[in-house]
Amino acid sequence: MSTILKKCFNLAKTVRTATITSLLTAPKQQWQALSAAASQTPHAQMMHTSPMRHGLMEFFDDPKHWSENDIKVGRAWRTDELRIKSNKELHQLWFILLKERNMLLTMEHECNDKMEIFPSPERIDKVKISMDNLEKVVRERNTAYHLLETGETGERPQKRVNNAFGLQVNYKSCEHVLPPFMNLKWIKSRNIGFGGRAVNRFLLKYREQLYNAKRKAKNRSRNEVMMILRRNPNFDLEVLRRKFPDVDIDKLRSADKARGHYVPKVGV
Amino acid sequence: MRITQFLASKLKNFSNLPKEYIERSRKQVYWQTPREKNYLPRTVERKRFRYTTNRPWTGQFRQQNMPATMRRKVLIEPVEDWSFFRGDRIEVLVGKDKGKQGIVTQVIPERNWVIVEGLNWHYRRVGAEKEFPGIIIKSEAPLHVLNDIRLVDPSDLLGTEFEWRFTEEGEKRLLWGEITFQPKLSTFEMDIMEEMGIKEERTPAKSYWY
Amino acid sequence: MSSRWYPIYQRGNPQLRVFLPNFWMKLVRPEEAQPPNVVTFSVSTEMTIHDVRSYLEKIYKLPVIDVRTRIALGETRRDQTYGYVTKKDDVKYAYVTLPKTEEFTFPELFEKKAEIKEKEEKSMDESKNGFRKFLDRNKKRPGTPGWYSI
Repeated sequence: MSTILKKCFNLAKTVRTATITSLLTAPKQQWQALSAAASQTPHAQMMHTSPMRHGLMEFFDDPKHWSENDIKVGRAWRTDELRIKSNKELHQLWFILLKERNMLLTMEHECNDKMEIFPSPERIDKVKISMDNLEKVVRERNTAYHLLETGETGERPQKRVNNAFGLQVNYKSCEHVLPPFMNLKWIKSRNIGFGGRAVNRFLLKYREQLYNAKRKAKNRSRNEVMMILRRNPNFDLEVLRRKFPDVDIDKLRSADKARGHYVPKVGV
Repeated sequence: MRITQFLASKLKNFSNLPKEYIERSRKQVYWQTPREKNYLPRTVERKRFRYTTNRPWTGQFRQQNMPATMRRKVLIEPVEDWSFFRGDRIEVLVGKDKGKQGIVTQVIPERNWVIVEGLNWHYRRVGAEKEFPGIIIKSEAPLHVLNDIRLVDPSDLLGTEFEWRFTEEGEKRLLWGEITFQPKLSTFEMDIMEEMGIKEERTPAKSYWY
Repeated sequence: MSSRWYPIYQRGNPQLRVFLPNFWMKLVRPEEAQPPNVVTFSVSTEMTIHDVRSYLEKIYKLPVIDVRTRIALGETRRDQTYGYVTKKDDVKYAYVTLPKTEEFTFPELFEKKAEIKEKEEKSMDESKNGFRKFLDRNKKRPGTPGWYSI
């Protein structure tokens, strides 16, 4: 392993321990810390707030959090904040987040084992959101490069195809050594087209199912409008029209179900 | 960003919990196919929940929505522009605190409810046993936003009607930290390899995607 | 494409490098007694022995001597009412041997928590005891208000 790589990992480690309590709390402070650590490696030791944990103890939370019921953390990293960071910083942050996630998973597992409440379980989701956002940013950058250089996104090619049941599915292409016309195994394995009596019958029933779901949804919204009108005859009809666009509200107003259980005022 | 959208975005996230976490803690999956290639992705899970003053990520909510318990559907009248947020001063129109004003402490949009600090309260008995009558605590009951309350005008402290209007303002965005990203004609991987001093001379052989 | 895409290998291709690894590892309490230098991990099912080794060596800076893995079958359960069967996901366990000089015992995380819980229960007990005392004191004079005697 090259020395620079080692340095990088060391950096990630120091930064993590320094900001372990507020990893997610304040991205601004964290980035100041991170950039400070990145620029002046020898002085990174100065900013430790919590004792550095080595090796296997990195899989556990800070010992002072062990007995707590609630751990205060901030929010996840947003895409906008990550977009302005350099590739190197994103790479370091990825490993910080990876270690944090391992730590949280370990703690959650142990808490479940010992029938204890895992404090602040939303931390796992926050780390996950941060990692997803980070990967999204990296992907954006790579796509931009590929579009500039090759005119293609560089993503895995996908297309909509019909499968053997006659349903539209998303087909993700795979990488092959041979071109398609030479790849006999692949030609034999794939099914082209669909048909036959069984498939037609299946499609008929499948479409019936879809239609039924649609019909039921329509009935449900119709009933809901009638119930609202029944309980609240003076409800704003414009709001109802905007909320339920496919329901004929004027027709429903005179429906029997929409009439409330009261004597109508005569002559009004 | 329009202020309506901004406030609406604050509506459910005030507890600093991500949407994914709330979704995950509320979820009740009864049965699902293994996520393998030879199975269709099918899930049987609870779709309808009874929302109360217990928030969806709490144990009380889970207890009220135990698996295989069904409760009658609650009719919710649609509220187009939600206008009641935490910290708003409102006036109560019903109940024993009729006419009093208070501050909204909790918003429950799933039921069109708000909870107002120190108003519309009742006593509740907690921890009762055979020998012990329990501890009495004061708890606030929710108020319906369309029928039970109205907003208070901060200038004269009287209940008012209100209306949403638009202001034409450009989108403002706040960004933290310095910009360290410099656009470069390289992918993420190429940049990191250059940073670490990894040299790669070999080029991948041609492959086909299909 | 995701930097984690595993390209097919042809002779002369560049070395495969993973820049943003997505594998997770949990340190779990061993089910059976292990030597002090063996640590049990629960890992992503896709991880190989080599992945586990390089993960620990490169990211956590741990000296690894040996890694063994096994896949534990997820438990199946039959629903009591409807009879359908549900199965939990399979889990991969990795048994990592560290050098003989290293020693690791799984820490007790919840020692202090029991004390805190005891304290909370104590306050509830105190209020119960107070109520009982109040009843005892007022046994012979029913109907007197609470402020009657201090």
